[in-house]
Amino acid sequence: MKRFLAALILLLGITYFVLPLIGMAEFSLSMRRGVYSLDAYRKVIADPQFRQTFGYSVVMALLTIVFGVLLVVPTAFWVRLRMPHLRPYVEFITLLPLVIPAIVVVFGYIRLYNTSSWLPLTGSTFGTNLLLMLGYATLSLPYMYRAVDTGLRTIDVATLTEAAQSLGAGWITILARVIMPNVLVAVLSGAFVTFAIVMGEFTMAALLNRPAFGPYLQLMGANKAYEPFALAVIAFIITWACMGLIQLVTRFSKHTKAAR
Amino acid sequence: MSFLTIEHLEKSFGPNKVVKDFNLNVEKGEFVSLLGPSGCGKTTVLRMVAGFEQPSSGRIGIDGQDVVRLRPNQRSIGMVFQAYALFPNLTVAQNVGFGLKVKGTPRNVIDARVAEMLSLIGLADLGSRYPFQLSGGQQQRVALARALAPSPQVLLLDEPLSALDAKIRLSLRNEIRAIQRKLGITTIFVTHDQEEALSMSDRVVVMHQGIADQVGTPFDIYNKPATRFVAGFVGTLNTLEADVLDPKTGHVRLPGGEARLGRPLPAGRITLAARPEMITLGAAGRDTSLAGHITEVDFLGSVIRIRADLGGQSLAFDTFNISHVSPPKVGEKVTLGLNAADLLVIGD
Repeated sequence: MKRFLAALILLLGITYFVLPLIGMAEFSLSMRRGVYSLDAYRKVIADPQFRQTFGYSVVMALLTIVFGVLLVVPTAFWVRLRMPHLRPYVEFITLLPLVIPAIVVVFGYIRLYNTSSWLPLTGSTFGTNLLLMLGYATLSLPYMYRAVDTGLRTIDVATLTEAAQSLGAGWITILARVIMPNVLVAVLSGAFVTFAIVMGEFTMAALLNRPAFGPYLQLMGANKAYEPFALAVIAFIITWACMGLIQLVTRFSKHTKAAR
Repeated sequence: MSFLTIEHLEKSFGPNKVVKDFNLNVEKGEFVSLLGPSGCGKTTVLRMVAGFEQPSSGRIGIDGQDVVRLRPNQRSIGMVFQAYALFPNLTVAQNVGFGLKVKGTPRNVIDARVAEMLSLIGLADLGSRYPFQLSGGQQQRVALARALAPSPQVLLLDEPLSALDAKIRLSLRNEIRAIQRKLGITTIFVTHDQEEALSMSDRVVVMHQGIADQVGTPFDIYNKPATRFVAGFVGTLNTLEADVLDPKTGHVRLPGGEARLGRPLPAGRITLAARPEMITLGAAGRDTSLAGHITEVDFLGSVIRIRADLGGQSLAFDTFNISHVSPPKVGEKVTLGLNAADLLVIGD
């Protein structure tokens, strides 16, 4: 009886989550009357604005990942190694993007870095892109920090660092050759989550007026019938592919057993 | 001048002084053990030599150079840790070659040195394995090879055998000593295991509450303990309170008998000590006999450890297990023998 009830709840849960997705996918294939077709997808992919916004967001996502890794890995490493007493504060700071809405952050940016400020980042395309990338890095900070911190927890950071130091390694060598390779799976998890966040982010890109994929999704949704659903399916596939890649990387990591 | 000199070394963590005026001179190629209970400061001394802790005061010199201000990666030291600390992402060969690679040594030189080191530790065939594919003993051998590969001036061993099981520990300690002798590398070994320290070292430093209580050869440490702590910590020791009857001749009254030590003693009440192996059941051939009764008999296989009560003071001693001789029984009255020259006078 208990088992049946559990199966029933599971089935209801799956139905609740999967049914809208099936509906969405089905609708995205129904552009041609009476038959299923990939017309909506073809139209979307043929749209130069899709390629441009998609490409822009991919580049921004990669830059955000690089910046996030360079910021988070040394910070989490240093906090764990030398300043464990600061850990609760750092954790609190990294959680702030979850409680401060993106719109508040971006208005703060615009107020601080507008053309009449001491650092007029919004006055140039490069500056605005930089601001957007920093905004994306802020949004992904909770996930990236937690992923890296969890990765660091699985290795004996202090002893490995001391072992490397005794062999003549400096801080950069330690980070690049000892710490990074051993938290690579965790870093990649954070990186894929960051990628998914950036690809779907709307508020910051729209308010900073940058040609990103999120605002394009919204624009299509407001003006077309089938294409937005095709885009949504594409966005879901990207997210799932990222999650699948996390699983794959974890499984094929050669030395994960040694990290215990 | 000694190769490694530690002068007036002190270390405090907040108000807690964990190393107090520590001095040690180690000759080139010497194997010195820091022996003591947990929290005595031995690992802190080692970490200060390695550069992982900054001394509160004092000087550490290696081959005449003061290294206190040098960062760990600037000191020519090799270190082996209790937890192996092999880099999980690198193969055995890459681990061993890490220090040389960091130094920018040419590839062919690294390969040759790695092969030499792996052969030295008897793992020549395992170069392509990852650390998790090795046993604990093999991992520690690799850690030793990795520490030795860059030819450091000093080798530091921080309880490297503690995480291993008894059998591996025994074979590995012989191996470590053999390799150290072969390479002639100056070594400091930290351990809380007295058997390890006594069997491996040229000299032993017994540490207690941040102070080097005694520095000496294993023979001296065991047979001539300088303080009550060293006497109690190294080996098993019976202590007996005695009244000095004649300070000039060393005539003392012990519980259960009297002894003549034949050397001057301070007047009044003193503490004497005797190792269990110096005491025999029966006084034949011994110059001192003590009367008592048996309180405990522990059968340990090849030996039987017996505890006797001598006028309120307890004395442990060992006899060999002889199959056709029954051990004494609890409550049985016995005479114990020892030579007065084997009695140690214990200071504070």
